[in-house]
Amino acid sequence: MTLSRKQPSTSVSCADPDAWTRVVAGSAAFELHSASVRYDARAALLEASLVVDPGESVALVGPSGAGKTTLLRLLNASLTPSAGSVCVDYKNLAQLSPVELRAVRARIGFVHQDPSLVPNLRVSQNVIAGALGRASFFGSARAMLWPRRTDLERAARILTRVGIGDKLFQRTDRLSGGERQRVAIARALFQDPSALLADEPVSSVDPARARDTVALLCELSRERGLTLVVSIHDIALAREFFPRLVGLRAGRIVFDERTQDVEAGALTDLYALAGLERVETAREIER
Amino acid sequence: MKSSAELPLLARPAWIGPRGTAILLLTAASIAAWFLLDLTPRALIPHAGGIEVAKRFFAGALQPAFEYESEVPPGTRPILVTVLEYARRTVVFATAGMSLALVLGIVLGFFASSAWWRGEHIGGASRTGRFLARTIWPFVWLCTRGLITFMRSVHELLWAVLFLAAFGLNTFGAVIAIAIPYAGTLAKIFSEMIDEAPRDSGLALRQIGSSPITVFAFGLLPRALPDMCAYAFYRFECAIRSSAVLGFFGFPTLGYGLAQAFENLHYHEVWTYLYALMALVIVVELWSGAVRARFVA
Amino acid sequence: MKTGAVRHGFEDVRPLQAVPQLWKLRPRSRLVRFTLAALALLVVYAWCAGDIGFDEMFTARRAQNFERFVGTEIQPFELRAEPFSLMRHVEWAWDLGVARGFEGALATLAMSILAMTLAASAASLLLLFAARNVATRDPFQSLETAGARGLSWRLVTATTRAVLIFLRAIPEYIWAYVFLALFGPSAWPAILALALHNAGILGKLGAETVENLEPRSLSALRQLGATRAKIVVAGLFPLSLSRYLLYVFYRFETCVREATVLGMLGIVSLGYWIQESRSRQFYDQMVFFVLLGAVIVFAADLFSTFVRARLRRA
Repeated sequence: MTLSRKQPSTSVSCADPDAWTRVVAGSAAFELHSASVRYDARAALLEASLVVDPGESVALVGPSGAGKTTLLRLLNASLTPSAGSVCVDYKNLAQLSPVELRAVRARIGFVHQDPSLVPNLRVSQNVIAGALGRASFFGSARAMLWPRRTDLERAARILTRVGIGDKLFQRTDRLSGGERQRVAIARALFQDPSALLADEPVSSVDPARARDTVALLCELSRERGLTLVVSIHDIALAREFFPRLVGLRAGRIVFDERTQDVEAGALTDLYALAGLERVETAREIER
Repeated sequence: MKSSAELPLLARPAWIGPRGTAILLLTAASIAAWFLLDLTPRALIPHAGGIEVAKRFFAGALQPAFEYESEVPPGTRPILVTVLEYARRTVVFATAGMSLALVLGIVLGFFASSAWWRGEHIGGASRTGRFLARTIWPFVWLCTRGLITFMRSVHELLWAVLFLAAFGLNTFGAVIAIAIPYAGTLAKIFSEMIDEAPRDSGLALRQIGSSPITVFAFGLLPRALPDMCAYAFYRFECAIRSSAVLGFFGFPTLGYGLAQAFENLHYHEVWTYLYALMALVIVVELWSGAVRARFVA
Repeated sequence: MKTGAVRHGFEDVRPLQAVPQLWKLRPRSRLVRFTLAALALLVVYAWCAGDIGFDEMFTARRAQNFERFVGTEIQPFELRAEPFSLMRHVEWAWDLGVARGFEGALATLAMSILAMTLAASAASLLLLFAARNVATRDPFQSLETAGARGLSWRLVTATTRAVLIFLRAIPEYIWAYVFLALFGPSAWPAILALALHNAGILGKLGAETVENLEPRSLSALRQLGATRAKIVVAGLFPLSLSRYLLYVFYRFETCVREATVLGMLGIVSLGYWIQESRSRQFYDQMVFFVLLGAVIVFAADLFSTFVRARLRRA
């Protein structure tokens, strides 16, 4: 990983001199400083502040449209905040060059809501595609069309780890929904990430598979020392697997606590009256 | 249940939508065309000679010729060999034209698609990338669009006629005459397929930091590839038909033999040629159908 | 791509099966591989078989021919002596257009419109007999769940499909050539030729559309006691009309393109004037008519794209 030569911004407290040692340990740290995102007039995220330490597992909970996806895309540097700042590994993303930004993204595995795989390619190609963020075009072409033995073996080991080791050369569209989700996770792992971000990874699979997938993500992050941020609809799953919950509603972070400290009332409030809250936000924006 | 939002929908007359308009348009245009062309149904009744020709022509359908209908000098190849030879050349010109069209069509199709330079640039597009996307690429895109429109607006037979006039009769001219309009059509359809392909896999690649060209090649293109293959195969079938028709202009394909037989009033031979052409087209159609089913399933 | 720098190589995981072993077990399609190999061979053969006079193309005589064609012959005959002036060229083109071209172009459009209407009506009837979910003992079920279709119904679809494939396998130009001999010179041979070929294509596309219709709403009508004909009018027709019209207007574009050349057989349209100027070696006029043809094809293309966009939105 190339560390930026630029100093982090002084206006926001991204710079924590001791933090560099933790970066080298291999997992990423994320910080949001009152970040807002607006699409046209609608605010998707309002002054969100959040600190995720290296190696931590965090679940983002909240109703759909609460800003979970937006928050994840901020952390992944695929969205720039309209106000506030985002730091990944104690570097303010606003100050990085496009090349440096791509290097940051290449180290962050992202598991999408729909697996976002190429259905008519083999599983091996979809997994190896995880490394394309760091390859040149010709390197990518080589990796996709004539993959190296070492890459294939690594892909096979990762697939075995996520439980579908026999599917290496199957066509992706022949797999079940749960298996495809695992291919997506394998692709993220093939990136050799320092963090995993997952956006509703279980919304397209049945409940039993959902539990397996979340368990797998948590195990992997513990085992490989990856920072894990998952947005998740299902509160029961979030409570069961994550030590820390961040609740979002209508673009605001309403609570950010250890799981055992989160009261049941706070969770029901999160989902109740979501519509009313949105109207209030709209009024706020008008003002 | 009437909410105020639904009222404008109800107020719109339901009996004439775009479909009704399209049908009315077509009917009105047809009536106008009828009078413009000065058509009479009477002209559809063949003249006496016509009826005779029709009788003999359709009788030929049941008995395609396996022997020449008139005396031929000894040593002439049997008709079936001649037909096969014409059919072989038909395929040769179609294949050569199509392979050239495919290469051209892929290159032009790339520049005629907008998916690789337009659309969401996630954060880190470099300054040169953004500059190109705002200035050069739209210009290249527009020029390519213009070029492929012109290429396919002129029919392959007209290209052949132009080449005949410019160079004289030459078989390579037939190949080029097929290649140019087919490249234009392929480029247009390819670019549309690329632009309409689902973007999610490309977006996922871009999010992990791939360069735009990598995103295009391994995120977008594979999504469109099965459709592109199926379409190219369909065009191959069309190319065989075009190649056959080029025979009417003196190129040695099925149309040449067919026109000769027709002019000699050898209707049984005509049907031998017609059946040969049909066999070619049907084989390719069934073959491409089987391959497409394979891709889709 | 550097793999050496990878921290999480997952070396601790023993793969389920060795990579070469998995590779051997990969699913592969014999048909697709055969197709790729056969097509590659065919392309090599086509270029190497010696039928294509590649070297013969680049001779001094052809170069001379080409030079004469581009240098003098395509310039308007009347203006060759004068210095170049755009205005004079436009004037020349306009005069030629008024004298012959515009009428020919209009006739070309009219022929393709009539042909399209004929083809669309004929195909809309034929497709009912070609669609396997309509022409069956127990109609309007999904194709997977429907039982035996009955021998006579199978015969009906097979015959209709054979007719459709016959219609579209023969190019328009050959149809027109045949009809010209039967009916003598009028616009009819061209119209019929275009209509027959396109009916073959529209019938196939329409039958596929009907077969892909959602069976539930149609079989619901069936359960209400509607007859086959009633369901076709009340259910099948409105459900498939949009898609069918899309295909009709898509073919219209191709039809205009094809109509420009049918005139070369002697049917009055743009192609007639192209052929006429070609036979008299008035290449300046020929190029003008070819370009005029390109313009109306382009116009038809724009029109059809516009109509299809409107239909798709509906």
